Amino acid sequence: MISVGARAGTRRGRARRRRGRPIESQFRTIISPLQLNSRWGRRIYWAVLVTIVVSFTLIFLFPLYWMITGAMKTGEEIAQMPPTLFPAEPTLDSYVEAWDLFDLGTLLWNTAYYSFGGWLFCMAVDVSAAYALSRLRPMFGGVILGAMLATLMIPAMVVLIPLYVTVVDLGLLNNPWGLWFPAAANGFNIFLLKRFFDSIPRELIEAAQIDGAGPLRVLWSVVLPISRPILGVVSIFTIVTSFKDFVWPLLVMTDSDKMTLSVGLSQTAGMVSQNAIMGGLVVASVPTIIVFFIFQRHIMAGLTAGSIKG
Amino acid sequence: MPVLRRNLTAYGFLCAALLCFAVFAWYPMAREFILSFQSTNLIDPPTWVGLDNFSYAVSDPAFADAWLATLQFTFLALACGYVVPFVVAVVLNELRHARAYLRFVVYLPVMLPPIVAVLLFRWFFDPGPGLFNQVLGFFQLPGLAWLDSPTTALISLVIVSTWMNMGSATLIYLAALQNIPSELYEAAELDGAGIWKRIRHVTIPQTRLILLLMLMLQIVATMQVFIEPYMLTGGGPENSTVTVAYLLFQYAFTYQNYGSAGALGMMLMIVLLAFAAFQLRLTREDKT
Amino acid sequence: MKRATGLLVVTALGLSACGSGEPATPTAGAAEQVTITVACQPAKSAPKERQAWDDDVATFMKAHPGVTVKSTDQQPCFDPKTFGPKLAGGQMETVFVVPVTNYDDVIGKSQALDISAYTSEIKNWNDLRTDVRELVTKDGKTYGVPNVHYGVGLVYNRKLFTDAGLDPNTPPTTWAEVREAAKKIAGLGSGHVGYGEYSGGNTGGWHFTQAIYGRGGNILTPDNKQAAFNSPEGKAVLQTLHDMRWTDDSMGNKLLVGWESLMMAMGSGKVGMMLGAPDVVTDVVNKFKGNVADYGITGFPEAKASLSGGEAFMVNPKATPAEAKAGLQWIDFRFNTVGKGRFDFARGKTIGNPVGVPDNDVYGDSATGKALQADRKTNATLPVENYEPYVQAAATIPPKAEPPHAQELYAILDVAMSGVLSRKDADLDKLLADAETKANAVLAAKG
Repeated sequence: MISVGARAGTRRGRARRRRGRPIESQFRTIISPLQLNSRWGRRIYWAVLVTIVVSFTLIFLFPLYWMITGAMKTGEEIAQMPPTLFPAEPTLDSYVEAWDLFDLGTLLWNTAYYSFGGWLFCMAVDVSAAYALSRLRPMFGGVILGAMLATLMIPAMVVLIPLYVTVVDLGLLNNPWGLWFPAAANGFNIFLLKRFFDSIPRELIEAAQIDGAGPLRVLWSVVLPISRPILGVVSIFTIVTSFKDFVWPLLVMTDSDKMTLSVGLSQTAGMVSQNAIMGGLVVASVPTIIVFFIFQRHIMAGLTAGSIKG
Repeated sequence: MPVLRRNLTAYGFLCAALLCFAVFAWYPMAREFILSFQSTNLIDPPTWVGLDNFSYAVSDPAFADAWLATLQFTFLALACGYVVPFVVAVVLNELRHARAYLRFVVYLPVMLPPIVAVLLFRWFFDPGPGLFNQVLGFFQLPGLAWLDSPTTALISLVIVSTWMNMGSATLIYLAALQNIPSELYEAAELDGAGIWKRIRHVTIPQTRLILLLMLMLQIVATMQVFIEPYMLTGGGPENSTVTVAYLLFQYAFTYQNYGSAGALGMMLMIVLLAFAAFQLRLTREDKT
Repeated sequence: MKRATGLLVVTALGLSACGSGEPATPTAGAAEQVTITVACQPAKSAPKERQAWDDDVATFMKAHPGVTVKSTDQQPCFDPKTFGPKLAGGQMETVFVVPVTNYDDVIGKSQALDISAYTSEIKNWNDLRTDVRELVTKDGKTYGVPNVHYGVGLVYNRKLFTDAGLDPNTPPTTWAEVREAAKKIAGLGSGHVGYGEYSGGNTGGWHFTQAIYGRGGNILTPDNKQAAFNSPEGKAVLQTLHDMRWTDDSMGNKLLVGWESLMMAMGSGKVGMMLGAPDVVTDVVNKFKGNVADYGITGFPEAKASLSGGEAFMVNPKATPAEAKAGLQWIDFRFNTVGKGRFDFARGKTIGNPVGVPDNDVYGDSATGKALQADRKTNATLPVENYEPYVQAAATIPPKAEPPHAQELYAILDVAMSGVLSRKDADLDKLLADAETKANAVLAAKG
C-alpha cells in the first residue's frame, strides 16, 4: 500500500518537477508538512533526497554492479589499475569458466534440493505442531511451547559442536536429513504460526466441527486456507535461510558432489581467478535476488511480523 | 474420554516436532554441557576430564585475544549496525519520494548469501586493484591495508558485516516508526518542541521497546561472528580478528579438541545469557 | 544409440572374456566382497589424469576380484577444514591422505588404523626410507604408508629472473642474494613481488619453521617441553622478512593467508621466489595454471637442515581387516609399484603431465628409488636441469621432522609472521618473546 503510494508520488513529482506543487505527505512524521513545504524546508528536503538516493545507490547497488561487470572482464582487465568502469570487451567467458570450475550446476541443484526438501519437511512439522498447540491445547502445551521458544535463546554457535556431534552419532553426515531435521526444530516458526492460528475466529472452526470434520480436516480445509499470508512468510524465510546458510552445511555436507552453493564457492574460491570467482558469485546471487523481486512485499512484511510488540 | 482423545490427537500432531526438538535442539543443549567436561575423538568412548577443557581454553594464548576481538567487533558493529540503521530509518521515514526504491536497495544485500558478500568484499579490500583503494586513489588519498593490517582488519570486517546486515534492522525500525501515532507529533509541535525535541520525546520513547529488543538481538548475533574472519582473515594479522566463534571452530575442527570447543561455547553462552538477563531487566523496568 | 549398444556388448564380452580367462584365485576369499573408498581421484578439471586414475582403478579391480574401489575427488584431497569433520563423522575414505603436519595428531587421537600386520602388502616396503617410515610409527606400530617425501628448497620463477636481469642458472645461495634478487624482481613493477611468504591460516608458522630449520634453529628444545625459537636464528628469519617487506618493499603489500593464496600468486607468474619443495612446482603447474618451463628450484639458502614435508596414506580406524588389506593392496598398486599407477611415467608423458620434477624422495637411494629416478629421467618432459641444483643440495642437507603439536604452534607463530609483514614498526624481539610465552603455555597445557 505504502509502496504504491510512494511510487505514484514519485511519478507526480517527476512530472511537475520542483516548485509549484507542494510535497505531499500521507502520514505525519517528525517534520510537519508545513515545515516541509516552507521555502528552506523544500530545498533541504530535495538536497537530502538526492544525497540519499545517490549514496544508497553507490553503497548498496554499485558493489553488485562491480561484481557483475568484474565477471565480464578479462583476467588482465580485472587486475588493471586504475580499473575500468565498463568492461572494455564484455565477455561471458568467466561465467562459463566459473560454471565448470565450481561445478555450479551440481551446486545449484544440491542447494535447491536441500532448500525445497527442507521447506516441505519444516512446514509439515511446524504447522502441525503449531496447530496442535494452538487449537487442540494438549496437556503441558504451555511447557512444550516454552521449551521450544527457549531454544531461541541459545546462540547457534554454542550448540554448533554438540549438534554436530549428535548428527555424527546418528550417521547423518552427507545426508540431506542432517540439514532438514535441525531446520525443522525451529521455535520461531512455530511461534509465528501458533500466534496466527490463535487469531482465527473460533466460530469458523466450530462450524466445521459441527459438519463432522476431524482435526486433520479442520487443519486442511479451514485453518490452512485462512493462514496463507503467514504460511507465505514462513515459507519464504525458511527457504531463503536455508539457501543462505553456510556454517552448518560446511560441516554436514562435505562431499564435493553434495556441497551447497555457499560451501562449494568457499572451498574453490582460493584456486580460481578473480573474474571466475565473480562469475560464481553472480550465479549464486541470482536465485535469492529473483525471490526478492517476486516476494518483496511478503519478505518485508515478514521481517516485522515477529519482532514488533515483543 | 474426550479429554484423553483430544490429548492423543494433539500429541499425534506434535510428535514429529517433539522428536525434532528433542534430538536436534534440546539434547544438544544438554550435550553441550556434558561435552565441556569430556574428552572425545568421536570414535572411542568419551572420558571425563573435569575442568581440563576449561583450563585449556583459558590458558590458550588466543583466548584473551579472542574475547578482546569479539568485544571490539561487537562494539564497532553496534556503533555501525545499530545506530546507523536507526538514523537511516528516521531519515527515510521523512522522505516522501523513492521510498520503495530505497527500501529495496537497502535490503538487497541481506538477500545475498553471506559468502557472496564476503568474497565480493575480499576483492574490494585487495590493497592493489581492489575497489576501495582505487576509489581512495581517485580522490588522491593514500590506500589502506584493510584486511592486511592489525589496525584496520577488524574494522574491515565490521564494514562487510554492516553492509550485508543493516537492511533488516533498517526496515524493522522503519516499520516501528510508521506505527507512531501522528497525534503525538502534532501535540509535541503544539507544545513548541523543535525537531530534535520531537525525536527525543516522541520518536525514541515510542520505539524504545523495539530498540531494546534489537540491541539484544544484535549483540547476540554479532558476538557469534564467524564467517567474516573465517573467510577473510583466518583470525590474523596478529590475532586481531580471532573471534570466540572462530576460535571455537578452530578448536573443534583444526585441533579436533571438541571438549575445549564445548567449554568455550559454554563461556560464550554464559556471557550472552547475562546480556539477555540484563536486557530483560531493562524492558521490565520500562513496563512498570 | 546403436553404437552405444555395440560398445556395451563389446565391453561386456571383453569383461566376461577376462573373467573366464583369469585363473580363479585359490583361497584368498574370491567370494568375499569388499568395497573400499579411496581418496585423491584427480578432479574433473584434469580429465586426462582422471582418466588415468580410472584406468588404474579398473586394472586393479580386475586383478583383485571381489574388491570394489570407489574414488572420491575432493580437492585438495587433504583439506584441513573438512578433514576433522569427515574423520569424526565416519565419512573418511577407507584409504585417505594425511600430510606430515598432521601425522602426530591423527595417530595420537587414534584416528588411523594400526596397519603393522598389513605392511607386507606393500612389496617395496623395505625400500621406503627408514627415517620417513619412522614418522608414521608410534610405539613400534605402523600407522601409515609414506607416500611423498621431500625437503624444502627455494622455488623461483626463471622467467622473472631473466626479465629482471638475473641469471636463472645461478639462483641465489645466500639470504643476501635472495634479498638482492627479490629487490630486482619487485623493481619490474606492475604488481611483481620479489619474494612471497605466508602470514596466516597456520601456513605462516609452517613457513617460519621451514626458515628457522634452514638456518639451523629449532622450534622446540630437544625434550619438546619448551619453545626454542626465540633465538638468534628465529630473529634472523623475521629480520630478513621485515627488511624485505619494509626496507626493500619487495614482498608486495598483500598478506597471504592459507595455502592457496601464495600458490595462486606463484601460478600467476608475478612472484619471484618462495620457500617450497618441488611439489610446489607440480601443484603450481597442475592446479594454478603456471607455465612449467618458468619454474626452477634450488637448494635452501645457507641450509643447515630442512623441514621434512610430505604425506602418507592412512587407513580408516573403522575398516575391517579385509578392507584394510584391500586398501593396502590398492596403495601398493597405484602408488608404490615402479612403472605402474602414479609411477607410470611413460603414460604421464603421453598425457602431458609435468614429468621430471624431483618431487618425491620417499624411496631415497634404495634399489626402488634408483629405478624410479632412472625411469623418471627417461620419460622427462621437463627441463630436468632446472631442478638439478635442488637435487644436489637436497642430498647433503639433513632432514628434520615437524615439532609435536605442530598446528597449535603454527597458529602461535602466525601471529609473529603476520606482525612482521603487516607492521612497519614491528618489534621483532617482542613478537618472538610473546610467541615463546604462548607456546610454553600451550606445551604446559598439553603436558
